[in-house]
Amino acid sequence: MSVHIVGAARTAFGRSELTGRDHGVHAARAALVDAGVPWSRVGAAFGGSDAAGNADTLVADLGLTGIPFVNVRNGCATGGSALLSAVNAIRGGMADVVLAVGFDKHPRGAFDPRPADWGLGEEYGREGLMVTTQFFGMKIQRYAHDHGITPRTLALVAEKAYRNGARTPEAWRRQEITAEEILASGMVNDPLTRFMFCSPGEGAAALVLCSAELARELGADSVELRSAVVRTRPPGSFEVFSPRLDPGEPTSVSTVSAAAAFEAAGIGPSDVDVCQLQDTESGAEVMHLAECGFCAHGEQEKLIAAGATEIGGELPVNTDGGCIANGEPIGASGLRQVYEVVTQLRGRAGARQVPGTPRVGFTHVYGAPGVSACTVLAR
Amino acid sequence: MTDGTVWTWTVQRFPPKSPPYEVPEAGFAPFAVGYVEVADGARIEAVLDVEDLSSVHIGMRLRIEEAEGRVPHAREVL
Repeated sequence: MSVHIVGAARTAFGRSELTGRDHGVHAARAALVDAGVPWSRVGAAFGGSDAAGNADTLVADLGLTGIPFVNVRNGCATGGSALLSAVNAIRGGMADVVLAVGFDKHPRGAFDPRPADWGLGEEYGREGLMVTTQFFGMKIQRYAHDHGITPRTLALVAEKAYRNGARTPEAWRRQEITAEEILASGMVNDPLTRFMFCSPGEGAAALVLCSAELARELGADSVELRSAVVRTRPPGSFEVFSPRLDPGEPTSVSTVSAAAAFEAAGIGPSDVDVCQLQDTESGAEVMHLAECGFCAHGEQEKLIAAGATEIGGELPVNTDGGCIANGEPIGASGLRQVYEVVTQLRGRAGARQVPGTPRVGFTHVYGAPGVSACTVLAR
Repeated sequence: MTDGTVWTWTVQRFPPKSPPYEVPEAGFAPFAVGYVEVADGARIEAVLDVEDLSSVHIGMRLRIEEAEGRVPHAREVL
Protein backbone atom coordinates (compact mmCIF):
# COMPACT_ATOMS: atom_id res chain seq x y z
CA MET A 1 0.00 0.00 0.00
CA SER A 2 1.46 3.35 -0.92
CA VAL A 3 1.73 5.99 1.78
CA HIS A 4 1.52 9.70 1.08
CA ILE A 5 2.69 12.77 2.95
CA VAL A 6 -0.19 15.24 2.92
CA GLY A 7 1.09 17.76 5.43
CA ALA A 8 4.59 18.96 6.26
CA ALA A 9 5.96 21.72 8.46
CA ARG A 10 9.05 22.85 10.31
CA THR A 11 9.90 25.62 12.72
CA ALA A 12 12.73 28.15 12.55
CA PHE A 13 15.87 26.37 13.77
CA GLY A 14 18.56 28.00 15.89
CA ARG A 15 18.34 29.34 19.42
CA SER A 16 15.36 31.04 21.03
CA GLU A 17 13.41 31.25 24.28
CA LEU A 18 11.16 28.39 23.15
CA THR A 19 11.45 24.92 24.65
CA GLY A 20 12.02 21.94 22.37
CA ARG A 21 8.49 20.88 23.18
CA ASP A 22 7.13 24.31 22.11
CA HIS A 23 8.79 23.73 18.74
CA GLY A 24 7.12 20.31 18.55
CA VAL A 25 3.65 21.76 19.19
CA HIS A 26 4.15 24.50 16.59
CA ALA A 27 5.38 22.06 13.93
CA ALA A 28 2.59 19.54 14.58
CA ARG A 29 -0.12 22.22 14.36
CA ALA A 30 1.37 23.68 11.20
CA ALA A 31 1.60 20.24 9.55
CA LEU A 32 -2.09 19.61 10.35
CA VAL A 33 -3.06 22.98 8.86
CA ASP A 34 -0.96 22.20 5.79
CA ALA A 35 -2.72 18.83 5.44
CA GLY A 36 -6.14 20.37 6.00
CA VAL A 37 -7.05 17.76 8.62
CA PRO A 38 -7.97 18.43 12.25
CA TRP A 39 -6.07 16.72 15.09
CA SER A 40 -9.28 14.81 15.88
CA ARG A 41 -8.90 13.02 12.52
CA VAL A 42 -5.40 11.68 13.42
CA GLY A 43 -5.53 8.04 14.51
CA ALA A 44 -1.99 7.49 15.76
CA ALA A 45 1.18 9.50 16.33
CA PHE A 46 4.89 8.72 16.60
CA GLY A 47 7.56 11.14 17.65
CA GLY A 48 10.44 12.02 19.84
CA SER A 49 13.39 14.08 20.87
CA ASP A 50 16.84 13.19 22.07
CA ALA A 51 17.13 15.78 24.82
CA ALA A 52 13.86 17.70 25.07
CA GLY A 53 11.42 15.23 26.61
CA ASN A 54 8.69 12.89 25.48
CA ALA A 55 6.64 13.61 22.39
CA ASP A 56 3.42 12.13 23.80
CA THR A 57 3.18 15.13 26.16
CA LEU A 58 2.15 17.11 23.05
CA VAL A 59 -1.42 15.79 23.51
CA ALA A 60 -1.88 18.39 26.27
CA ASP A 61 -1.69 21.07 23.57
CA LEU A 62 -2.98 19.23 20.50
CA GLY A 63 -6.02 17.73 22.25
CA LEU A 64 -6.88 14.78 24.47
CA THR A 65 -8.34 12.58 21.75
CA GLY A 66 -7.05 9.40 23.36
CA ILE A 67 -5.05 8.14 20.37
CA PRO A 68 -1.92 6.01 20.77
CA PHE A 69 1.12 8.33 20.76
CA VAL A 70 4.37 6.35 20.75
CA ASN A 71 7.61 7.97 21.94
CA VAL A 72 10.63 7.26 19.76
CA ARG A 73 14.21 7.84 20.90
CA ASN A 74 16.67 6.58 18.34
CA GLY A 75 19.46 9.14 18.17
CA CYS A 76 19.89 10.68 14.73
CA ALA A 77 17.38 8.15 13.37
CA THR A 78 14.60 9.39 15.70
CA GLY A 79 12.73 11.09 12.84
CA GLY A 80 13.34 8.19 10.48
CA SER A 81 12.13 5.69 13.06
CA ALA A 82 8.97 7.75 13.72
CA LEU A 83 8.37 7.84 9.98
CA LEU A 84 8.90 4.11 9.56
CA SER A 85 6.45 3.48 12.41
CA ALA A 86 3.90 5.81 10.79
CA VAL A 87 4.18 3.92 7.49
CA ASN A 88 3.69 0.59 9.23
CA ALA A 89 0.73 1.93 11.21
CA ILE A 90 -1.00 2.92 7.96
CA ARG A 91 -0.06 -0.30 6.13
CA GLY A 92 -1.05 -2.41 9.13
CA GLY A 93 -4.44 -0.75 9.38
CA MET A 94 -3.80 0.75 12.80
CA ALA A 95 -4.85 4.21 11.60
CA ASP A 96 -5.48 5.96 8.29
CA VAL A 97 -4.10 9.38 9.27
CA VAL A 98 -0.85 9.45 11.23
CA LEU A 99 1.38 12.20 12.63
CA ALA A 100 5.18 11.91 12.80
CA VAL A 101 6.97 14.63 14.76
CA GLY A 102 10.53 15.27 15.90
CA PHE A 103 11.87 18.13 18.02
CA ASP A 104 14.87 18.98 20.15
CA LYS A 105 16.85 21.59 22.02
CA HIS A 106 20.48 21.09 22.99
CA PRO A 107 22.90 23.11 25.10
CA ARG A 108 25.67 25.03 23.32
CA GLY A 109 28.88 23.36 22.22
CA ALA A 110 29.84 19.84 21.18
CA PHE A 111 27.87 16.90 22.55
CA ASP A 112 29.60 15.40 25.62
CA PRO A 113 28.90 11.69 25.92
CA ARG A 114 30.03 9.62 28.92
CA PRO A 115 32.50 6.74 28.39
CA ALA A 116 30.44 4.25 30.45
CA ASP A 117 27.43 4.76 28.16
CA TRP A 118 29.63 3.53 25.29
CA GLY A 119 31.17 0.58 27.14
CA LEU A 120 34.51 2.37 27.43
CA GLY A 121 36.79 2.91 30.43
CA GLU A 122 36.89 6.26 32.21
CA GLU A 123 40.36 6.88 30.74
CA TYR A 124 38.75 7.68 27.37
CA GLY A 125 37.02 10.64 29.01
CA ARG A 126 39.98 11.67 31.21
CA GLU A 127 42.39 11.74 28.27
CA GLY A 128 40.08 13.69 25.97
CA LEU A 129 38.95 11.07 23.45
CA MET A 130 35.17 11.38 24.07
CA VAL A 131 34.88 14.08 21.43
CA THR A 132 32.66 13.36 18.41
CA THR A 133 34.34 15.93 16.19
CA GLN A 134 37.64 13.98 16.44
CA PHE A 135 35.98 11.05 14.73
CA PHE A 136 34.65 13.21 11.89
CA GLY A 137 38.13 14.65 11.38
CA MET A 138 39.72 11.20 11.34
CA LYS A 139 37.18 9.67 8.96
CA ILE A 140 37.50 12.39 6.31
CA GLN A 141 41.29 12.55 6.84
CA ARG A 142 41.63 8.94 5.69
CA TYR A 143 38.99 9.29 2.98
CA ALA A 144 40.67 12.41 1.58
CA HIS A 145 44.00 10.55 1.49
CA ASP A 146 42.52 7.53 -0.31
CA HIS A 147 40.30 9.41 -2.75
CA GLY A 148 41.99 12.74 -3.38
CA ILE A 149 39.60 15.13 -1.64
CA THR A 150 41.18 18.54 -1.00
CA PRO A 151 40.49 21.05 1.82
CA ARG A 152 39.15 23.39 -0.86
CA THR A 153 36.37 20.89 -1.65
CA LEU A 154 35.47 20.68 2.05
CA ALA A 155 35.24 24.47 2.09
CA LEU A 156 33.05 24.54 -1.04
CA VAL A 157 30.56 22.18 0.64
CA ALA A 158 30.21 24.55 3.61
CA GLU A 159 30.09 27.60 1.33
CA LYS A 160 27.12 26.04 -0.49
CA ALA A 161 25.44 25.23 2.84
CA TYR A 162 25.54 28.88 3.96
CA ARG A 163 24.47 30.09 0.50
CA ASN A 164 21.43 27.77 0.57
CA GLY A 165 20.77 28.66 4.21
CA ALA A 166 20.60 32.33 3.20
CA ARG A 167 17.71 31.41 0.88
CA THR A 168 15.84 29.39 3.53
CA PRO A 169 13.67 31.51 5.87
CA GLU A 170 13.71 28.91 8.69
CA ALA A 171 17.46 28.22 8.58
CA TRP A 172 19.72 29.25 11.47
CA ARG A 173 22.85 30.36 9.59
CA ARG A 174 21.64 32.74 6.90
CA GLN A 175 24.83 34.66 6.21
CA GLU A 176 26.86 33.68 3.18
CA ILE A 177 30.47 32.78 4.00
CA THR A 178 33.16 32.37 1.34
CA ALA A 179 35.35 29.29 0.95
CA GLU A 180 38.38 31.41 1.89
CA GLU A 181 36.73 32.53 5.15
CA ILE A 182 35.75 28.92 5.88
CA LEU A 183 39.32 27.69 5.36
CA ALA A 184 40.62 30.50 7.60
CA SER A 185 38.03 30.04 10.38
CA GLY A 186 40.38 28.07 12.62
CA MET A 187 41.22 24.37 12.66
CA VAL A 188 38.99 22.38 15.04
CA ASN A 189 39.96 18.79 14.25
CA ASP A 190 42.23 18.55 11.20
CA PRO A 191 41.33 18.79 8.36
CA LEU A 192 38.03 20.35 9.49
CA THR A 193 37.72 24.03 10.39
CA ARG A 194 35.15 25.74 12.59
CA PHE A 195 32.78 26.83 9.80
CA MET A 196 32.75 23.33 8.30
CA PHE A 197 30.82 22.00 11.31
CA CYS A 198 27.15 22.17 12.25
CA SER A 199 26.18 23.06 15.82
CA PRO A 200 23.64 21.47 18.13
CA GLY A 201 20.57 23.72 18.18
CA GLU A 202 16.81 23.63 18.47
CA GLY A 203 13.82 23.12 16.21
CA ALA A 204 11.07 20.76 15.11
CA ALA A 205 9.54 19.21 12.01
CA ALA A 206 6.30 17.28 11.56
CA LEU A 207 4.56 15.31 8.84
CA VAL A 208 0.99 14.10 8.35
CA LEU A 209 0.74 10.81 6.47
CA CYS A 210 -2.12 8.77 5.05
CA SER A 211 -2.97 6.20 2.41
CA ALA A 212 -2.95 7.13 -1.29
CA GLU A 213 -6.70 6.70 -1.43
CA LEU A 214 -7.34 9.07 1.43
CA ALA A 215 -4.83 11.57 0.02
CA ARG A 216 -6.95 11.67 -3.16
CA GLU A 217 -10.16 12.06 -1.15
CA LEU A 218 -8.66 14.97 0.76
CA GLY A 219 -7.56 16.52 -2.52
CA ALA A 220 -4.21 17.03 -0.85
CA ASP A 221 -1.05 18.38 -2.51
CA SER A 222 0.66 15.14 -1.58
CA VAL A 223 4.02 13.46 -2.09
CA GLU A 224 4.41 9.71 -2.10
CA LEU A 225 6.74 8.23 0.49
CA ARG A 226 8.12 5.41 -1.66
CA SER A 227 10.26 3.97 1.10
CA ALA A 228 11.46 4.68 4.63
CA VAL A 229 14.30 2.54 5.94
CA VAL A 230 16.34 2.42 9.14
CA ARG A 231 19.47 0.27 9.48
CA THR A 232 22.09 -0.39 12.16
CA ARG A 233 25.76 -0.91 11.30
CA PRO A 234 27.22 -3.92 9.49
CA PRO A 235 30.49 -5.58 10.66
CA GLY A 236 33.65 -3.62 9.87
CA SER A 237 32.26 -0.08 9.82
CA PHE A 238 34.29 2.83 11.20
CA GLU A 239 32.30 4.50 13.97
CA VAL A 240 32.69 7.13 16.65
CA PHE A 241 34.16 6.03 20.01
CA SER A 242 35.66 2.77 18.73
CA PRO A 243 38.94 1.75 20.40
CA ARG A 244 39.60 -0.54 17.43
CA LEU A 245 38.67 -0.91 13.76
CA ASP A 246 38.78 -4.39 12.23
CA PRO A 247 41.09 -5.16 9.27
CA GLY A 248 39.88 -4.46 5.73
CA GLU A 249 38.23 -1.63 3.84
CA PRO A 250 35.66 -0.05 6.21
CA THR A 251 32.00 -0.76 5.43
CA SER A 252 29.20 1.80 5.79
CA VAL A 253 25.74 1.64 7.32
CA SER A 254 24.74 4.50 5.00
CA THR A 255 25.49 2.30 1.99
CA VAL A 256 23.34 -0.48 3.43
CA SER A 257 20.49 1.85 4.35
CA ALA A 258 20.47 3.78 1.06
CA ALA A 259 20.57 0.58 -1.03
CA ALA A 260 17.63 -0.85 0.94
CA ALA A 261 15.64 2.39 0.51
CA PHE A 262 16.24 2.42 -3.26
CA GLU A 263 15.40 -1.25 -3.59
CA ALA A 264 12.13 -0.87 -1.66
CA ALA A 265 11.24 2.18 -3.76
CA GLY A 266 12.08 0.54 -7.08
CA ILE A 267 14.05 3.65 -7.98
CA GLY A 268 17.81 4.14 -8.31
CA PRO A 269 20.16 6.97 -7.33
CA SER A 270 20.34 8.16 -10.94
CA ASP A 271 16.58 8.93 -10.85
CA VAL A 272 16.94 11.36 -7.94
CA ASP A 273 16.37 15.07 -8.69
CA VAL A 274 17.04 16.50 -5.22
CA CYS A 275 18.59 15.04 -2.11
CA GLN A 276 19.40 15.73 1.52
CA LEU A 277 22.49 14.05 2.94
CA GLN A 278 23.74 14.08 6.53
CA ASP A 279 26.28 16.89 6.73
CA THR A 280 27.35 16.98 10.35
CA GLU A 281 30.43 18.55 8.78
CA SER A 282 31.58 19.12 5.20
CA GLY A 283 33.43 15.82 4.97
CA ALA A 284 30.27 13.88 5.79
CA GLU A 285 28.41 15.30 2.77
CA VAL A 286 31.34 14.42 0.52
CA MET A 287 31.56 10.82 1.77
CA HIS A 288 27.79 10.28 1.89
CA LEU A 289 27.45 11.25 -1.78
CA ALA A 290 29.44 8.12 -2.64
CA GLU A 291 28.25 5.93 0.24
CA CYS A 292 24.62 6.48 -0.81
CA GLY A 293 25.40 5.60 -4.42
CA PHE A 294 25.30 8.99 -6.15
CA CYS A 295 28.88 8.83 -7.46
CA ALA A 296 32.06 6.77 -7.31
CA HIS A 297 34.51 7.36 -4.46
CA GLY A 298 36.74 10.26 -5.41
CA GLU A 299 34.42 11.65 -8.08
CA GLN A 300 33.18 14.27 -5.60
CA GLU A 301 36.30 16.38 -6.07
CA LYS A 302 35.33 17.11 -9.69
CA LEU A 303 31.54 17.12 -9.19
CA ILE A 304 31.60 19.69 -6.40
CA ALA A 305 34.06 21.97 -8.20
CA ALA A 306 31.74 21.86 -11.26
CA GLY A 307 28.72 22.88 -9.17
CA ALA A 308 26.85 19.58 -9.57
CA THR A 309 25.52 19.70 -6.02
CA GLU A 310 24.30 23.32 -6.22
CA ILE A 311 20.58 24.12 -6.44
CA GLY A 312 20.89 24.58 -10.21
CA GLY A 313 23.24 21.60 -10.61
CA GLU A 314 22.81 18.05 -11.82
CA LEU A 315 22.11 16.72 -8.30
CA PRO A 316 21.17 19.45 -5.82
CA VAL A 317 22.25 18.42 -2.30
CA ASN A 318 21.06 20.00 0.96
CA THR A 319 19.00 22.70 -0.71
CA ASP A 320 17.99 24.20 2.66
CA GLY A 321 21.60 24.44 3.83
CA GLY A 322 21.55 21.06 5.59
CA CYS A 323 22.78 20.60 9.14
CA ILE A 324 25.60 23.11 8.58
CA ALA A 325 23.14 25.99 8.07
CA ASN A 326 20.24 24.65 10.16
CA GLY A 327 22.10 23.19 13.12
CA GLU A 328 21.34 19.75 14.41
CA PRO A 329 18.45 19.36 16.81
CA ILE A 330 18.85 15.57 16.76
CA GLY A 331 15.17 14.57 17.02
CA ALA A 332 14.09 17.03 14.33
CA SER A 333 16.91 16.72 11.82
CA GLY A 334 15.68 13.72 9.80
CA LEU A 335 12.15 15.07 9.43
CA ARG A 336 13.54 18.49 8.49
CA GLN A 337 15.18 16.76 5.52
CA VAL A 338 11.90 15.11 4.51
CA TYR A 339 10.08 18.43 4.90
CA GLU A 340 12.61 20.04 2.56
CA VAL A 341 12.24 17.38 -0.12
CA VAL A 342 8.42 17.48 0.13
CA THR A 343 8.59 21.28 -0.26
CA GLN A 344 10.87 20.94 -3.30
CA LEU A 345 8.69 18.29 -4.97
CA ARG A 346 5.60 20.46 -4.37
CA GLY A 347 7.42 23.36 -6.04
CA ARG A 348 7.00 25.56 -2.98
CA ALA A 349 10.65 26.19 -2.10
CA GLY A 350 10.71 29.84 -3.22
CA ALA A 351 14.21 31.31 -3.59
CA ARG A 352 15.83 27.88 -3.17
CA GLN A 353 13.49 25.99 -5.53
CA VAL A 354 15.26 23.41 -7.69
CA PRO A 355 14.44 24.32 -11.30
CA GLY A 356 12.75 21.97 -13.77
CA THR A 357 10.00 20.36 -11.64
CA PRO A 358 11.90 17.79 -9.56
CA ARG A 359 9.95 14.55 -9.22
CA VAL A 360 12.11 12.24 -7.10
CA GLY A 361 13.84 13.03 -3.82
CA PHE A 362 16.03 11.23 -1.31
CA THR A 363 16.92 11.85 2.32
CA HIS A 364 19.69 10.35 4.44
CA VAL A 365 20.76 10.65 8.06
CA TYR A 366 23.73 9.01 9.71
CA GLY A 367 24.56 9.00 13.38
CA ALA A 368 26.24 7.32 16.30
CA PRO A 369 26.74 4.47 17.03
CA GLY A 370 26.30 3.45 13.38
CA VAL A 371 22.68 4.07 12.44
CA SER A 372 21.28 5.39 9.19
CA ALA A 373 17.76 6.29 8.05
CA CYS A 374 16.87 6.95 4.41
CA THR A 375 13.72 7.82 2.50
CA VAL A 376 12.78 7.94 -1.18
CA LEU A 377 10.00 10.36 -2.10
CA ALA A 378 8.23 10.81 -5.43
CA ARG A 379 5.66 13.05 -6.97
CA MET B 1 54.58 -2.77 22.70
CA THR B 2 53.37 -3.07 19.12
CA ASP B 3 54.76 -1.35 16.06
CA GLY B 4 52.48 0.05 13.39
CA THR B 5 51.76 2.90 11.03
CA VAL B 6 49.31 5.79 11.25
CA TRP B 7 46.11 4.87 9.38
CA THR B 8 44.38 8.16 10.13
CA TRP B 9 44.83 11.04 12.52
CA THR B 10 43.58 14.42 13.66
CA VAL B 11 44.65 17.06 16.15
CA GLN B 12 42.43 17.94 19.12
CA ARG B 13 42.75 21.71 18.86
CA PHE B 14 40.25 22.74 21.55
CA PRO B 15 40.08 21.59 25.19
CA PRO B 16 37.50 18.80 25.56
CA LYS B 17 34.78 19.38 28.15
CA SER B 18 35.84 18.93 31.80
CA PRO B 19 34.71 16.70 33.34
CA PRO B 20 35.39 14.12 32.09
CA TYR B 21 38.57 15.59 30.54
CA GLU B 22 41.40 16.13 33.01
CA VAL B 23 43.39 19.17 31.97
CA PRO B 24 47.16 18.57 32.33
CA GLU B 25 48.94 20.55 35.07
CA ALA B 26 50.72 22.66 32.49
CA GLY B 27 47.35 23.55 30.93
CA PHE B 28 45.67 22.33 27.77
CA ALA B 29 47.84 21.93 24.71
CA PRO B 30 46.60 20.53 21.36
CA PHE B 31 47.40 16.84 20.99
CA ALA B 32 47.27 14.33 18.16
CA VAL B 33 44.99 11.31 18.14
CA GLY B 34 44.71 8.62 15.52
CA TYR B 35 44.34 5.01 14.55
CA VAL B 36 47.52 2.98 14.24
CA GLU B 37 47.44 0.00 11.89
CA VAL B 38 49.24 -3.04 13.29
CA ALA B 39 50.54 -6.27 11.69
CA ASP B 40 47.19 -8.09 11.37
CA GLY B 41 45.57 -5.05 9.73
CA ALA B 42 43.56 -3.98 12.78
CA ARG B 43 43.63 -0.30 13.65
CA ILE B 44 44.00 0.77 17.28
CA GLU B 45 42.92 4.19 18.51
CA ALA B 46 45.72 5.93 20.38
CA VAL B 47 46.95 9.30 21.57
CA LEU B 48 49.91 10.10 19.33
CA ASP B 49 52.71 11.43 21.53
CA VAL B 50 54.78 13.12 18.85
CA GLU B 51 57.21 16.00 19.31
CA ASP B 52 55.96 17.99 16.34
CA LEU B 53 52.22 17.92 15.56
CA SER B 54 52.89 19.08 11.99
CA SER B 55 54.94 15.93 11.37
CA VAL B 56 51.98 13.54 11.77
CA HIS B 57 50.98 11.86 8.50
CA ILE B 58 49.33 8.71 7.23
CA GLY B 59 51.98 5.97 7.03
CA MET B 60 54.10 7.43 9.86
CA ARG B 61 55.75 4.64 11.89
CA LEU B 62 54.79 4.57 15.55
CA ARG B 63 55.06 2.21 18.50
CA ILE B 64 51.96 1.61 20.63
CA GLU B 65 52.36 1.34 24.38
CA GLU B 66 49.48 0.11 26.48
CA ALA B 67 49.15 0.47 30.25
CA GLU B 68 46.33 -0.32 32.66
CA GLY B 69 44.00 2.62 33.22
CA ARG B 70 45.31 4.62 30.23
CA VAL B 71 44.22 4.73 26.62
CA PRO B 72 46.87 3.38 24.22
CA HIS B 73 49.65 5.86 23.46
CA ALA B 74 51.89 5.73 20.40
CA ARG B 75 55.37 7.21 20.08
CA GLU B 76 57.76 7.72 17.24
CA VAL B 77 60.12 4.82 16.54
CA LEU B 78 63.60 6.26 16.83
